[in-house]
Amino acid sequence: MESRFSIKGRKELARPAVYVGLAVIVALLPLFFGSPYIHHMLILTFIYIIAAVSFRTIVISGQFPLAHAAFMGIGAYMAAMAAKWLGMSPWITIPLSALVTACIGMLIGYPFSRLRTLYYAMGSLFFGIGVIQIIYAGGSWTGGYSGLTGIPALLPATTSKIPYFYFFLGLALVSIIALYRIEFSRIGTNLKAIDQSHVVASSVGINEGGYRILAVGVGCFFVGLAGAGYAHYNMVLSCSSFNFMATLWLVMYVLIGGVNSFAGPIVGTIILIIVPEFFRDLKMFSPFVTAVILGIVVYLMPQGLVGLPQLIRSKLTEHRKVKKVNHAS
Amino acid sequence: MLLEINGLTKYFGGLAAVRDFDMHLDDGELLGLIGPNGAGKTTIFNLITSIYKPTKGKIIFDGNDITSKKPHEIARLGIGRTFQLNPLFSDFTVLQNVSTSFHLHPKSSLPDIYFNTAKYRRNEAYILEQSQEILKMVGLDKVENELAKNLPHGYQKMLGIARALAVKPRLLILDEPIAGMNPSEIDFTLDAIKKMQQQKITILLVEHNMKILDLCERVVVIDFGQKIAEGLPKDVRENKEVIRAYFGGERVT
Amino acid sequence: MELIIATLTNLLILSSMYILVALGFAFLFSMLGILNLAHGVIYMLGGYIGLSLIMALGLNQWLALLLTTLIVATFGIFLERYCFRPFVGDFNRIIMICVVLTVVLQTGVNIIAGTQILSLPPFAEGIFRFGPASVSYERIVTFAIGAVLLLATTWFVNRTKWGQQMQAISQDLEGAYLQGINVHRVSALATFIGCGLAAIAGCLMGAYLCLGPFMGDFMLVKVLMLTIIAGAGSISGIFIAGLILGSLDSILPLLVSGAASDATAVGILVVLLLIRPQGFFGHEVEM
Repeated sequence: MESRFSIKGRKELARPAVYVGLAVIVALLPLFFGSPYIHHMLILTFIYIIAAVSFRTIVISGQFPLAHAAFMGIGAYMAAMAAKWLGMSPWITIPLSALVTACIGMLIGYPFSRLRTLYYAMGSLFFGIGVIQIIYAGGSWTGGYSGLTGIPALLPATTSKIPYFYFFLGLALVSIIALYRIEFSRIGTNLKAIDQSHVVASSVGINEGGYRILAVGVGCFFVGLAGAGYAHYNMVLSCSSFNFMATLWLVMYVLIGGVNSFAGPIVGTIILIIVPEFFRDLKMFSPFVTAVILGIVVYLMPQGLVGLPQLIRSKLTEHRKVKKVNHAS
Repeated sequence: MLLEINGLTKYFGGLAAVRDFDMHLDDGELLGLIGPNGAGKTTIFNLITSIYKPTKGKIIFDGNDITSKKPHEIARLGIGRTFQLNPLFSDFTVLQNVSTSFHLHPKSSLPDIYFNTAKYRRNEAYILEQSQEILKMVGLDKVENELAKNLPHGYQKMLGIARALAVKPRLLILDEPIAGMNPSEIDFTLDAIKKMQQQKITILLVEHNMKILDLCERVVVIDFGQKIAEGLPKDVRENKEVIRAYFGGERVT
Repeated sequence: MELIIATLTNLLILSSMYILVALGFAFLFSMLGILNLAHGVIYMLGGYIGLSLIMALGLNQWLALLLTTLIVATFGIFLERYCFRPFVGDFNRIIMICVVLTVVLQTGVNIIAGTQILSLPPFAEGIFRFGPASVSYERIVTFAIGAVLLLATTWFVNRTKWGQQMQAISQDLEGAYLQGINVHRVSALATFIGCGLAAIAGCLMGAYLCLGPFMGDFMLVKVLMLTIIAGAGSISGIFIAGLILGSLDSILPLLVSGAASDATAVGILVVLLLIRPQGFFGHEVEM
């Protein structure tokens, strides 16, 4: 049996040169694609990659909070309100609201961490709904039902989105590296240990309660960061971007990409945001394309999209083995 | 006295699993806790390591009252244990199981870990070396890269013991360490336990097997959550109460 | 006086509708530990299929109701067999498949009906007068249908062999297998009934209120709230929880503004979940 943490061939992919190369290619994309719409989609992809990877950081500790988009909303609205009503600079509100989001996450996470998976999921689901309700009830402070407008922009106004492109590319890279370090250090190992057997973990001295809260804090920090960045880019916020469906989509990005691999959320986000764009001409029918992708992965790829190379490889070796047997007999 | 248990009582609903249980353990002793199935042995272990909270009573370890401490704090104070059903980190390798268990000694702080400081790297190298030594001592060094869930049962139990040793315990609690093992694995485990004794680790174990009990310096017998006998193994074996508990009446010779 | 009667009837109708839909959800949750997050769109699907049958085939609303129920209930069997049964116990895959279902069904509805607000023709016309008070026949009939169905379902779960098998499965899945209960067949039946009830509720609410693209989400939240309060495996728990929620939803808006009352309701629920996650009437769910 395979460890669910190892996808074969990961050693080959681990060479840093490959990743630097990829980053360079991505950085050069605006040279080849000049349309602001494409830039916008890529910026959104970067933002959601941060959100998805940070969600997975929480998931590896065995907790499955169904409220991650709500925390993105907390980050977004905190930054927007601080900038709009208190006049703070976006360069301050972004990291500050990330911190606030992390604190709120840890405060909520503390009582929730005692619940079992199913009830934890339901409870966090309602917390997420509650956050949206509070935003609705916020009247003119939060923009209520009609949304918050007039949020100060992060960068000086230009018609081009390219400066934002590079800002969010940078933010995404920094976040990915930061979260990568968590996962592949003793911290990440401890989180995975707690997930596999919290009884054994605590018997070797791992403070399971503390680590669980740490995971939530880190996850909420980065998703709050992504939300705050989004607020100062979009300059307009609407509650419905952070509701339960939004959380479910974030969850899908991670699960479809592959929940047991660090690259999973990244792959999942890219595929689920970019691929439907090719089918935009189908207009109303385009969600069906997404549904088909989702269905294929759910039924055929237990390890998610990142498991595809391994899946193909094992099918090929199976095929070769069958051929050998047929030849032998 | 290393471990002192006074008046330990645990009720589950209306049922007393453990009642007014007293026991003490001296430094370096090897003590066996025996009793029929359901007598409360594992419950007592779970109370010592704080997986359950006692209804009444006190547990004092090395002068510290550990009755209300959390499980990881108890590990920090120097108690390591194995579990009857032997949960492991099943998706980790054998080596990873042990190296993860070196969480406490040496302890790297969170900043050290995160920023990959020289201290952290030194600690990790030391941990790797120590893990491999422990694996060699329990005979699992050949399979260090196997996944824990793929190991045969006896190996898994050895891994449980290896993991408990990584805590550098002063007191090691073993819950049925040789249950389900074949004879050669049993001999191996007995050797390992003797080696641990030589290293001055105090051991408290639960077992049904007489071979292990003969290793023990002292035996405590419980039934229905209460102590019914205590003493040298050979004395306990002849005790009428003990015989009644196991066989329900006078032994027919 | 008018207000009291209107609020009371509203309370009864909302409660019975919530309970109808929640029962279907609770069956899967109690028996197999499955959080059917797509149950809301099934409810919505019922309403829209009902409307489509009326408009496309010119059926009267009663025939449409019957046909819709059959269609959606049969769809439920397909769901249980191909979407839930393969993934029992796998929390991640269940969430994924529910999202797939939601996307497919919601998109389907959007394509057919757009985002306009529609509604079904009422199931009864006219006003019933008694003394100084009056109630619309529509309200009476809607509640009556709901009440009859609820009584029938309760009778089914408590008094028939199938229902008792359902209860057995919800208490101990493995034990039920070992006792020779055909868990697959019982689950299929439970899903058939559950989806059928949701579809009926969809049509009734579609006539009583309206059909909208978000009605599925709205109902899913209510159903989840009910499940938190009620817990698994207890029908009476769902009834009581449904009454509580129906009362809150018909009385609170008269007193407090919309968003604030919603927020308080959710806040109370989160606290309830922390105090007693397994609900007040049922038992814990094994996964």
